[in-house]
Amino acid sequence: MAAALANPVMRRLLRVPPAYYVFAVLLLVLWIARPNMLNLNIMGIFVRQIVPLGILVLGQLLVMRVRSIDLSGGGVILLINYIISSGVFPGASMAFFIVLALAIGLAVGFFNGLMVGVRRVSAVIVTLAVGIVLVGLVQYLSSGKPPGDVPSMFADIYNTKLGPAPTPVIFWVAVSAALSLFLSRTVFGRFVTSVGENVQAAHFSGVPVARTVVLAHTLAGLFVGIAALVQTASIAVGSVRVGLDLPILAVAATILGGVVFGRGEGGVWGPFFGVLSFALLFVVMTTFGIDEPGKLIAQGLIILLAAIFYGIRQRSG
Amino acid sequence: MTAISRRLTGARGSRQGMWMLPLLIALAIALWLSLETAQFLNGENLLNLVPQAMPLVITAVGQMFVILLGGLDLSVGSMISFTTAVLALGGPAWVLIPAVFVLAALVGFSNGFIITRFNVHPIIATLSTQYILLGITRVLRPVSGGTVPDIVISAVAGSILGVPMPVFWGIFTLAVAWKLLYGLRFGLHLFAIGGGVASGVEDAAHNFGIADRRNIVLAYVICACFAALAGIFLAGRIVSGDPNVGLLFELDAITAVAIGGTQLSGGIGSLHGTVIGALVMALLANGMNLTNVSPFIQTTIKGAILLLVVALQSRKKMGL
Repeated sequence: MAAALANPVMRRLLRVPPAYYVFAVLLLVLWIARPNMLNLNIMGIFVRQIVPLGILVLGQLLVMRVRSIDLSGGGVILLINYIISSGVFPGASMAFFIVLALAIGLAVGFFNGLMVGVRRVSAVIVTLAVGIVLVGLVQYLSSGKPPGDVPSMFADIYNTKLGPAPTPVIFWVAVSAALSLFLSRTVFGRFVTSVGENVQAAHFSGVPVARTVVLAHTLAGLFVGIAALVQTASIAVGSVRVGLDLPILAVAATILGGVVFGRGEGGVWGPFFGVLSFALLFVVMTTFGIDEPGKLIAQGLIILLAAIFYGIRQRSG
Repeated sequence: MTAISRRLTGARGSRQGMWMLPLLIALAIALWLSLETAQFLNGENLLNLVPQAMPLVITAVGQMFVILLGGLDLSVGSMISFTTAVLALGGPAWVLIPAVFVLAALVGFSNGFIITRFNVHPIIATLSTQYILLGITRVLRPVSGGTVPDIVISAVAGSILGVPMPVFWGIFTLAVAWKLLYGLRFGLHLFAIGGGVASGVEDAAHNFGIADRRNIVLAYVICACFAALAGIFLAGRIVSGDPNVGLLFELDAITAVAIGGTQLSGGIGSLHGTVIGALVMALLANGMNLTNVSPFIQTTIKGAILLLVVALQSRKKMGL
């Protein structure tokens, strides 16, 4: 196997994030099995459903590039959904909710960042614990029952279209492009890369490691806040279960897209296609009648295989 | 004064970690509960404490082996649910019980193998195992139901010479763990591997001639088998298979291990500390139930405790 991995063509192919292959294979499967599904309208609806995940992934890839992880997104999304749908702020304007959601996301992200970057606590444990603290809090506040309805303005915006494509999808592409530019053009983007490559080397080269990690987590929190708004708009009601499986899906999509802890060669578009792969995967699984347990197994296997893919390559190269 | 505080927090360079302080905390909680509520010192409640605490004690002891070498096993919660589902499949006990342990050993082996041979981070490897196992469990048993073999039920509920069975489970668990950790070279090697990982020299133990990969795989196998043992115990208590019984159990186990003075970065910790940590968690849960704290807030409090405990531990490595 080592010889096969050393082959230059193989090496070149292994450099492409697995997301692109998976996406192509799934597209092919769908094209063979259900050719009539592949039209712009139907695909637009499926892709629109996955936009919250897509935005969450933008934050996830940022923290994973600085060798951290954020699993608290589920709790934050639940909290924001609860605040918007339960009517704790009666008659509040949409702008108020948006500012509040972003502020909550930023605050939780900043807290995660301080714990991971300054206190140097294990990121998995901190963010998992923050997540369950928030989930428990929301379930307590709502006594385990779904709260109320979401103000209709959210759904109204969510359902609009710009030309052939749904607005949320355009929004997602725009935010992804902005992050891509941000990471490739700014000093902060370079800091992220250098911290991911080697923390010690970055420290001795004068990169503010702790500050970079804190900022990455804070930005990730901002993306969680945006994802929560889109998710809330998409389901249009309050829920005590919404978004709980999103963080783990985000990790899976990010790894699939070629961003593994500290290694960012997949850029922003690798994970973008990772998310699209998951959108397609769910379509394919639904058309073949595979339900929730099968999806759990598929998620686990995808994380595992993608991680093994990078583990082997890292050792051989 | 300094001597006392040093005694409490564990001497500098001690391999045991700080375990006396948690013991005091446990006693303080017990004292508070006996003063605050009338039911705590009630004989029935005290008798119930042991079976309530036992699954957590067993799981935490297993988790400790993995944490000592600087790893983490997030799949134990799913392993517990999976075990109850397998036991409730229906079939003779002499097939099911060995099958559970064989399956657990396989899961542990695959965790360890993926981590050591494919260079995958333990958290990622066990996180994916958690999801795969959960999926399989939901296929086997979508909702709770089925019946477990009678021998499992009587092994949990019965008593010998007036001593309830869970006590024997505890003695068995501690005896096995004690032998593994302090009675064999394996235990010493765990501390060596974990100590290297904690100081940022991943292959320190390897360079001293310790077969690190084999020992790491063995630790994950042990962790999964202890989780299966806890699963059998829980199956005996709830008398059926339940796909959600182990939900978030891994976090409770990690919290218990961390409270007991075991460093999550590896290399420092002790068996008695872990048991004390699990007892602290069990007393806390018992107390919150007695004082009618909402189960949702209990989740929040447990999460906050985990956050606090890990924030108090310092480590060199940053990130995961």
